[in-house]
Amino acid sequence: MAIATNNDIAKAIYLASKENPVNVVTETVRFFARKRLMSRAPDILARLEKIVHKAENKIRAKVTSAEQLGQTEKSNIEHFLKKRYEVTGILFEEVVDKKVVGGVKIEIDDEVLDLTVKNRIHKLQEYLIS
Amino acid sequence: MNNNIVENLKKEINNFSLQLKIEKVGHVIEVFDGIVKVSGLSDIKSSEMVTFPGGETGVALNLEEDAVGVIILGDFSKIKEGDEVKATGRILEIPVSDNILGRVVNGLGLAIDGKGAIKSEKTYPIEKVAPGVVTRLSVDQPVATGIKVIDAIIPVGRGQRELIIGDRQTGKTAIAIDAILNQKGQNMICVYVSIGQKDSKLRKIEARLEAGGAMAYTVIVSAGASEAAALSYIAPYTGVSIAEYFMDQGKDVMIIYDDLSKHAVAYREISLLLRRPPGREAYPGDVFYLHSRLLERACRRNEKYGGGSITAFPIIETQAGDISAYIPTNVISITDGQIFLETDLFYKGIRPAVNVGFSVSRVGSTAQIKAVKKVAGTLKLDLAQFRELEAFAQFGSDLDESTKRQLERGKRAIEVLKQPQYAPMKIEHQVVVFYALVKGYMDDVPLEKIKAFETGLIEYSERNAKTFYKEVLEKKMWAEKGEAELIKAIEDFKSGFNK
Repeated sequence: MAIATNNDIAKAIYLASKENPVNVVTETVRFFARKRLMSRAPDILARLEKIVHKAENKIRAKVTSAEQLGQTEKSNIEHFLKKRYEVTGILFEEVVDKKVVGGVKIEIDDEVLDLTVKNRIHKLQEYLIS
Repeated sequence: MNNNIVENLKKEINNFSLQLKIEKVGHVIEVFDGIVKVSGLSDIKSSEMVTFPGGETGVALNLEEDAVGVIILGDFSKIKEGDEVKATGRILEIPVSDNILGRVVNGLGLAIDGKGAIKSEKTYPIEKVAPGVVTRLSVDQPVATGIKVIDAIIPVGRGQRELIIGDRQTGKTAIAIDAILNQKGQNMICVYVSIGQKDSKLRKIEARLEAGGAMAYTVIVSAGASEAAALSYIAPYTGVSIAEYFMDQGKDVMIIYDDLSKHAVAYREISLLLRRPPGREAYPGDVFYLHSRLLERACRRNEKYGGGSITAFPIIETQAGDISAYIPTNVISITDGQIFLETDLFYKGIRPAVNVGFSVSRVGSTAQIKAVKKVAGTLKLDLAQFRELEAFAQFGSDLDESTKRQLERGKRAIEVLKQPQYAPMKIEHQVVVFYALVKGYMDDVPLEKIKAFETGLIEYSERNAKTFYKEVLEKKMWAEKGEAELIKAIEDFKSGFNK
């Protein structure tokens, strides 16, 4: 018997929510408890979020920078991401981390564009060692 | 001095150009026994290299819907849950260069012999599709192993895959080492892949090759018993990639996999940890493909595609002589023949302990030189008949003359085929010895004096049958003049020997 993957379960919850949006939360929790899936719940819900975003033509972008981003920088990043991923909406998750020194690091799902000074120094270090 | 350092640094920094691109990353979900489960890495390819924050390298083997199963090539103790894993977009590759000759490297092609790093500008992927049919030539050039029983009865050709199979302590590695030692001046590069062996044994082998002057044309790839199973798994592929590097230069290469039983065990360990379904003897379903894709890379390429060849000697260790176990039968069916070694023969003093009846070379006879074929052509049949007669002779004492003669000849043939370790014999010397044997010149030599007769005859004939040697070396077959000279040399030597 094939084992249902986290992705399969997330898809099933999404389809169920479209058919019966009222009871979906209660039923999902009951299902998790009955099938002992609570330990897998965070991953299933993360996948469910991605499915929902895909259906709504949105993506979640995690942007890490040394300072709080200004409006212009944010709209530039938004413009770039909309064009690259062909989506209508971007959900920003902003992180301020002094360790990156400068620049930005953009993470979308498993893709990373690291334009930080920290990364540049690291690459220069690798180049000089090799 | 200091100014130079600063200037150099400035120059290097100026040369540095950073090309930032979108990278595929994943995160470690769990780490156990050299295996890492990684989330993300959605577009990763099978056998693609990944890197961890500490600089460790891994190979993606299991591509599942939710996660990727990665084997770590090295120390996995520093990898933690949540660590970022980067995909490189490249299939696992190793550095290759001519400087690798004479060195001992690990499964990743990095030097482990303490002689410093190996400078190399090229890299070769460890997984490659074997050369296709149009690029290949049939096997017709001999590999002189220097071992009489092999060169005469189970001849091996360049591009052949000949299995060496037998129980523990029957001399499998000894045959391989002797074959490497005999390649001096034969225009052959040798690669010895040691899988799951004790480091002390490897050290001994390296010292032996060094002493015999064989390290000049040999590379040793080692994945020791104390190293991770992942390194044992990739070591043979690393070895064959090094062999391919030399073959691509049109050179002939001989590769020894010592041994593939341990390689299969390492792969079984990885597969079970990756939770792949176990099959017969708990090996995964693709264990046949594991060895077939490796051994198929041994070939002889035609001139149009650069020439060169890879001759493979895989070694398999059997348990209590059971050649019908899973891995032995698999490798027997993949290879072009096998050299079967037996414990009983070994303890009877017949060394190399080759069982001539069970051993076979399916393609090597076309590669055998004419002179050897002529003298050793009937040897296998003669030995088979001898064994049969020997069994009957145990029951009765009244034997006719011809049977007695056949028995005596057989006993002498067995004595001639015995050979000490690390003493490979040149092919022209083998021709002389077998000539004397099959023409009956040894029939009246006492059994205990056969070895002395053999050594003496080689020395004497080298001085007194120069034409014969010249003809065999140049034309691969003797002519009438050379033969007459050899016969005279044998008769002269024999008359002196009997006194």
